[in-house]
Amino acid sequence: MINLKVVSPQKVIFEKEVEMAVLPGAEGDFAAMPNHSPFISSLRPGQMAIMSSNKVDESFFVSGGLVMLKEKVCEVLVDQIEQLSDVNSSNYQQSKTYQELEGNETALGTFEQVVNNPPYK
Amino acid sequence: MPNLKELKNRISSVKSTRKITSAMKMVAASKLRRAQELAESSRVYADSLSFILSSLAGNTKNSADLPEILTGRENSKISLLIINSSDRGLCGGFNSNLFRNAKKWISDQQVLGKSVKIMTVGKKASSFYKKTDLDIVASFEDLNSNDRQLQVSEEIKNKIMELFENNEIDEVSILFNKFVSAISQEPTYQSLIPLSNEETSKDESEANNAIFEFEPDKNELLEYLVPRNFLTQIYRSVLESSASEHAARMTSMDNATRNAGDMIDRLTLTYNRTRQAFITKELIEIISGAEAV
Repeated sequence: MINLKVVSPQKVIFEKEVEMAVLPGAEGDFAAMPNHSPFISSLRPGQMAIMSSNKVDESFFVSGGLVMLKEKVCEVLVDQIEQLSDVNSSNYQQSKTYQELEGNETALGTFEQVVNNPPYK
Repeated sequence: MPNLKELKNRISSVKSTRKITSAMKMVAASKLRRAQELAESSRVYADSLSFILSSLAGNTKNSADLPEILTGRENSKISLLIINSSDRGLCGGFNSNLFRNAKKWISDQQVLGKSVKIMTVGKKASSFYKKTDLDIVASFEDLNSNDRQLQVSEEIKNKIMELFENNEIDEVSILFNKFVSAISQEPTYQSLIPLSNEETSKDESEANNAIFEFEPDKNELLEYLVPRNFLTQIYRSVLESSASEHAARMTSMDNATRNAGDMIDRLTLTYNRTRQAFITKELIEIISGAEAV
C-alpha cells in the first residue's frame, strides 16, 4: 500500500492508503505504487485514478500540478481537482473547477473528455 | 454644575459605543479562528512545494544554471516592496506599525543606492502611499470579501513576473504582519527575488540525500515551479496578514470595550452625585424659604 496525499493550495483534500494511483504526468501517465524510485514530475490536465486489483475505485479530474514520489509516499500538489462521481456530462459546466479554469481551453477540453469518456474506468 | 440631561445622553451614547465595540470584538474573534485555520491548512502545500524546489535547486550544483528569477540579478538597482495592509481600520497599531517599518526599510534601500517601488495590498496602504512621492506600481484591494485571497495572489504574482521580465524591477520583498499569537503580530519581510535562503535551507540536508528523477527536465520543471512558489508565498503572507488583522482588531476592540465600561462607571458616578446635589439644593431652598416666613 502507498500513502496517497492530495493537497491543494488551500487545504489537504484527502490522505489515504491505496494500492495504486494512476496519474497524468507531463510526459505520459504513470502508476504510483510502493517502492517506486524517487521521482518528481509535473502534471498535465487529465484523470487521476485510484485503483485496486485492476479496478478503478475512485476517479478525479486534475487540472495540473506536481507530484512527488518516494518509497511509500505519494504527494500530489494539485491546482484544481474534481471528483468525477460528483459530475456528469450534463452538469460539469456548473462545477467550481470548470468556472475556475475559464479561459484555459486545453484544460477545459480535457475536462470534458475525462467527464464523458475517462481513459480509465 | 453639569447638566443632568446632558450627562444622561452622554452615558447612553457611550453605552451604544460599547455595544458596537464588543460586537466587533466577537466578530473579529470568530473571523480570526477561520483565518487561522486557513493559514494552517495552506501550510502543507507550501511546505511540500518548498521541499520540491529545494531538492531541485540543491541538485543543480552550479548556481549559474539556475534562472535569474530564483537567484536574483547581480548589482540590482530597483527593489519592489509589496505591503500587505488591511482594508478596514479600527485595528489598533496594525497598519501604522507596518508603515513605520516600511519607511525605515525604504530609506535603508535608498542609502544602498537602490530605488524603491511600492505595490500595495489593502485600502489602507493605497490611501497612505498615495500621499507620498513613492512610485506605486499597482494596488490591490478588497481581499477578504468573497474569499478573493487566492485570486488576488495570482494577480500579484502575474504582475511581479511581468515587471521582472521587463527589467522594471530587480528585487522583490514582501512585508506583512506575521501572526505570532492573538496578542502579538510582528512586521516581517520576506524576499521573493532572490529566493530567501531560509526557505531553501530548511529541508536541504534531507532533500539533497534523496536522489530524485525529474520529469520533464529540471529547467522545464523550474519554469513551472518558480511562479507556483511565488503564488504560494504571496498567498501565505496574505493569509498571515488577514489572521493578524483580525487578532489586532480583537485586542483593540477588547480594550475599547473595557475603556467604555470605565467611562460609563465614571459618568454614572458624576450623574448620581449631581442628582443628589440637586435634591439637597432644592431641600435647602424649601427649608430656608419656610424659615424666612
